[in-house]
Amino acid sequence: MPNDPAAIPAPPPNAGQALLSVRGLRRNFGAVAALAGVDLDFYPGEIHAILGENGAGKSTLMNAIYGLVRLDGGAILVDGRPVHFGGPLDARQAGIGMVHQEFALFEVLTVSENLALALSPAREWRLRLDRVAAAAGALAAEIGLDLGDLDARVETLPVGTRQRLEILKALSGQTRILILDEPTAVLTPVETAQLFRMLVRLRARGGTVLFITHKLREALEVADRVTVMRHGRVVRTVRAAEASERALAEAMVGTEPVPAAAPRPRQPRGAPLLRIEELSVVDERAIRAVDALSLEVRSGEIVGIAGVDGNGQWELFQVLAGLRRPTAGSIHLAGTLLTRFSPEDMIQAGASTIPPDRQRQGLVLEMTVAENLILNCALLARLASGPFLPRAASRSFAGALVQRYVIRTDGLDVPAATLSGGNQQRLVVARALSTDPQLLVAFNPTRGLDFAATGAVHRACSQACERGAALLLISTDLDEILGLSDRVAVLYRGKLSPSLESPLPAERLGALMAGVHEDAGG
Amino acid sequence: MGNLASRLRRVARLLGPSLLSLLVALVASGIVVALAGGNPARAFLALMQGAFGSADSLSEVGVKTCPLLFTGIAMVIAFRAGVWNIGGEGQLLLGAIAMAWLGSRLALPDWLGLPLVLAAAAMAGGGWAALAAVLKRQRAVSEVISTIMLNFVALQLVSYLVHGPLMEAAGQYPQTDAVSAALRLPRLFATHRLHLGFLIALGVAALAQVLLFRTVLGYQMRAAGLNPVAARLAGIPAERCAFLALVLSGALAGLAGGVEVSAVTYRLYEQFSPGWGFTAIAVALLGRLNPGGAVVAALFFGALDAGSFSMQRAAGISSVLVSIIQATVIFALVAVEGGAWLATTRARPEPSVL
Repeated sequence: MPNDPAAIPAPPPNAGQALLSVRGLRRNFGAVAALAGVDLDFYPGEIHAILGENGAGKSTLMNAIYGLVRLDGGAILVDGRPVHFGGPLDARQAGIGMVHQEFALFEVLTVSENLALALSPAREWRLRLDRVAAAAGALAAEIGLDLGDLDARVETLPVGTRQRLEILKALSGQTRILILDEPTAVLTPVETAQLFRMLVRLRARGGTVLFITHKLREALEVADRVTVMRHGRVVRTVRAAEASERALAEAMVGTEPVPAAAPRPRQPRGAPLLRIEELSVVDERAIRAVDALSLEVRSGEIVGIAGVDGNGQWELFQVLAGLRRPTAGSIHLAGTLLTRFSPEDMIQAGASTIPPDRQRQGLVLEMTVAENLILNCALLARLASGPFLPRAASRSFAGALVQRYVIRTDGLDVPAATLSGGNQQRLVVARALSTDPQLLVAFNPTRGLDFAATGAVHRACSQACERGAALLLISTDLDEILGLSDRVAVLYRGKLSPSLESPLPAERLGALMAGVHEDAGG
Repeated sequence: MGNLASRLRRVARLLGPSLLSLLVALVASGIVVALAGGNPARAFLALMQGAFGSADSLSEVGVKTCPLLFTGIAMVIAFRAGVWNIGGEGQLLLGAIAMAWLGSRLALPDWLGLPLVLAAAAMAGGGWAALAAVLKRQRAVSEVISTIMLNFVALQLVSYLVHGPLMEAAGQYPQTDAVSAALRLPRLFATHRLHLGFLIALGVAALAQVLLFRTVLGYQMRAAGLNPVAARLAGIPAERCAFLALVLSGALAGLAGGVEVSAVTYRLYEQFSPGWGFTAIAVALLGRLNPGGAVVAALFFGALDAGSFSMQRAAGISSVLVSIIQATVIFALVAVEGGAWLATTRARPEPSVL
């Protein structure tokens, strides 16, 4: 591998004009640059994987190309001509189709009815289901897309079939470019293989496929070229045939020197507060999301769980938050074996959580700052002595937290929705730490935050550890893991690697995150 | 002070949609009256006269308001907890059944009897709602469906009872026997129909305000209603909150039916309720899911009801117009709220699309 492959853009798969180009695309969400100037070219007849961590800007880029995201700057060119998309309809007119992670299907209608709704020319007043079905069936057969029984109701179909239906919808009309947003996230391995076979056939017909993934193996398996994004920029674009998983992993997580974000005095490690033994979790798809995971976190210690998203982090978090029962294994918290798993039990046992999505999981946005700061059963029990809401006590409690964690707000009585993302997260962190937890489980605690808010969250977490708490930091941001953790282990396909002590070699972690082991990588 | 300005803004935000939709409703119904060849000004004047023109009409407003207020508060509690109780009508009927049945059969000392039968009415309504609540909790059945369906069951139950087991002893009309005198809610003034139930309803509204905004349970209900995911993660028993809210909501609706039988009709018969349990949804929404707001909204709908007949007499406008006003209020409210919602979502892009 050349040392700086970003300098040498991978050549197009075949000479000729790019079908779709983007130039200098920029888009900010608040203080965060989701797209910080992206230049890319996509050619006819290529499968192009967009690889990157959560928040790298992949979805924003694809949504921008599909006309769903307003741009702050830059241009989109189709066949070399600049286009302006006011919405997805414009993009479809230009021959771009997209399949989102969440499907837009009518569950109670049949497959052919769904197709008819999507494909029927608007001018035809009579619904000819048989014709629609025949036309769709022909297209499906041509690209090897098996829809099964066209008269089956969508709600009875497995997720893979639903996805194929969505793909067929997206391919209707003059679609030349198909965008798939994390198509494999919901699929079983068999369904994934089927999907890839179909993508290859689409390519053979001259179509262009862009698909978002954060799974390295998939990108290399099916794509012709792979673009790695990070922090809203293109890190590099390489030919899949010439790329290695390891190099891609390093590009994804970044190997720039880690800023000493929070220099922490090394704590004398105390007693083990969290001991997980042989923990297994089976998810809704009956897939073993967490596989015989063992882990120990001591008092005053920060253990980082690194890994590419979708390798069991969410299920591990759910178990520790009391949202999901483990299928096997045991958890000791502060010396006590946990037998009951509910959020209330976990909080009572001394655990506190910072969920990955503050707006959906952390806050009640319509409620006030003061009300949100006491949203925790242990806090409520502590503040209230009877059935009545302890207004005075909770206000002074909330006021103290606002001051201590420097939450910038227009008072205690404004809805949490009025706070900026960083201040919302400070609120969530302040509340999580205010129960004096023995164990703090933080999942992507600084996702989408600016520099100042990130620093504040990291400082608060470190201080909790200095007071003797154990911190389990689950994060897909390797910089964050490296900046905070005393020890790091990597989660890959539900299995946890042996933990590494600091100083932590980023390259080694990158390889582990890609599922590459020492002997394989070289 | 900026504090005053921001407070005024908050009040405006709270009241704005309701007032705006009232205005839209009045204009729209005025147009309907004009189209029908009537004089809108005369119609509204007659409506007002009918509602506020005399002591007796004021008393009638109170009488018409009473069942709407009980059921309106019932909806406020359910909706605040994120439970879509559409079954107020059925729960009200069950309360009425309990009152009509016990009230005509039970012989108890005065001081004990009335509280007891009122409690029984509340329990009947709460029990009816509990059917839906259990189904929701154990089987994840949407309460929207189950409570709507239970309305029809309750209607048929009333029909069966007044034609069968609970039919009056005289055997002449399909109605129950009259509630015994000792179990009738007393009137507040000898010459008017306004009764003690109206004051009880106001008291219930005050209690609901305390429950929702001053107690831990109410706080938990509101949190679970607005964001069940965050509430559950915080260790708040969201399912239990929803269960309790639905049962409590049903109990208040049942109380509405019980009070109506005990204080106004004394008997139960088919067509007992003109749809109070459904209008209650409008009362709760127009009152912006606040008990105080529900009091005002119930009074408004009650006044429309009370005034409609005199409008028909004096201005020759069919009392059906009142239904049009009520319906337009709801449409306008939904449209205004929807507009406000669209505006906020457009102004504040979700950063979580990242």
